[in-house]
Amino acid sequence: MSEIKLVDLVQALDLTVSAGSQELEKSVTGGYASDLLSDVIANSKEGDVWLTLQLHQNIVAVAFLNNLAGIIIVNGRQPEEATIQKAQEQGVVVMCSAFPTYEVAGRLYHLGVGR
Amino acid sequence: MNIREMVEVLNGKILVQNHDPDEELPRGGAADLMSDVLAFGSEGMVLLTGLTNPQVVRTAEMAGINVIVFVRDKTPPPETLELARDSCISLIRTGYTMYEACGRLYQAGLPGRGPVRIENNSW
Amino acid sequence: MKTIHGDMSTQEITKVQELIYTTRVESVMASNVIAIDPSFTMSQVKDLMRDKRISGAPVVKENQVIGIVTISDVIRSMEEGKLNFLVTDLMTSDVRTVSKDAMVTDVVNNLGRQGFSRLPVVDQDGTLVGIVTTGTLIRSLLMQMDKSFQRNEAEKLYTYRASHIFQDISSDDTSLLLRYFVNEKDFDNAGKASSLIKRSLQRLMLLPQIVRRVGVAVYEAEMNLVIHTDIGGEITVEVRKDRVNVSTVDHGPGISDLKQVLQPGFSTAPEWIRDMGFGAGMGLANIRRVSDVMKLTSSPGQGTRLEIVFNFRNDSLATTRSPQKA
Repeated sequence: MSEIKLVDLVQALDLTVSAGSQELEKSVTGGYASDLLSDVIANSKEGDVWLTLQLHQNIVAVAFLNNLAGIIIVNGRQPEEATIQKAQEQGVVVMCSAFPTYEVAGRLYHLGVGR
Repeated sequence: MNIREMVEVLNGKILVQNHDPDEELPRGGAADLMSDVLAFGSEGMVLLTGLTNPQVVRTAEMAGINVIVFVRDKTPPPETLELARDSCISLIRTGYTMYEACGRLYQAGLPGRGPVRIENNSW
Repeated sequence: MKTIHGDMSTQEITKVQELIYTTRVESVMASNVIAIDPSFTMSQVKDLMRDKRISGAPVVKENQVIGIVTISDVIRSMEEGKLNFLVTDLMTSDVRTVSKDAMVTDVVNNLGRQGFSRLPVVDQDGTLVGIVTTGTLIRSLLMQMDKSFQRNEAEKLYTYRASHIFQDISSDDTSLLLRYFVNEKDFDNAGKASSLIKRSLQRLMLLPQIVRRVGVAVYEAEMNLVIHTDIGGEITVEVRKDRVNVSTVDHGPGISDLKQVLQPGFSTAPEWIRDMGFGAGMGLANIRRVSDVMKLTSSPGQGTRLEIVFNFRNDSLATTRSPQKA
């Protein structure tokens, strides 16, 4: 499987980019889905794209801390203003999908992310 | 996809069986937030979750969910097993992460609920 | 001559399967197990088996199972003139044990396929705590099947009786009032009231969609009482012919900014509550979504009152009861 970049995910899953659009060349090496920040801190891996429906700015800190490739907010929700601002500052990519976690994970997996 | 096939795809183990393994599963869903499950869970949906406390069983019961899959090989506490037996909920455990469990089931043909239409970040 | 054979219905087979998958060994074992000391001779084993009417027993040294001796070992020792030999010379020392926490499936596999007739049960430290034989297994499974059969029958009866209450009681407008008390911070029982409410509405044979909507709302409301109050609260459910009214009342800290708490995502729940999957600030939004009317009244120090109404949109479909034909 060739390298997969964030921009590939944005195109394939029709994601909207809320923050960090200058960082879409980052490569994605895996996926992690969780809505519990402590779980993500403990168990996600560097380069993972993180699927969550949390909107709070803490998600940016977690993604930054674990060197995640980016965040996909699911279920058609939009990040809070403070989250977008913080993500811009720290260069964290925040994307949104109208689909729930289950299908976003399914489609990413189908693309080859984390396989 | 039926329960038996799902357990195979997930390389899972049935912890509490309250349903016929041949029972068909209409769709899958994954969440750790119980309000999300209550809002989007649909009758018969399989719930994949990283939480194992008894409230997950209660939430499933309220949302009409019959089958719960615990991801990342988490073993639920005895109270959770007890409550599941009592509330007629089946529990399954898999070693995969939530992401990979979703990926494998979706790949194997278990659909999701489709895009969500919400207003005002509510659901 | 008629032969009796295993003509079980699919449902019954599933019941047995369910039981062996979900029952722990601990609950099917005999715990008054007779253990044999390694210093026993075969002759002593023979006397013990006769006195206790058993056909086999584990041999235990310092709480650990080191072997198993059966009636056929005793017979062999008699045939070979070895009655004065030590039990340790004639016992089977390659002994299979099973953990008390294992599921009954493990026992079934070992007893059936591997041809063992008894399995010593041990705890985490390997200490002998009981024994399972085909006999103890069948006895306890039969007992459990009976229990769940009785439970199902009872549920049918409750449903029959409850669903007729509106027909049986005469008044111009009958309503049924159910009250539940919820304790603060009691996470072991959190959701219990909601579960009882759901089952009660099912017994009253309200439409499944209504039962579901009420269930979701009442569960969110109950979790709010558990998480946010310091002296618990009360849930009242009023079932009427055309609607269900739910109200929750607490004498907790109250809410100073009602607008703020109605914002999706607003939450004052601490991190550990969030780690349980709650406190995402979506509870009230969920309640509003599934109900027809939601009214929240509160002020600091005065507690909080939440009123929720569910209308049955088509009166004729309010319940699953078939309309009485004249």
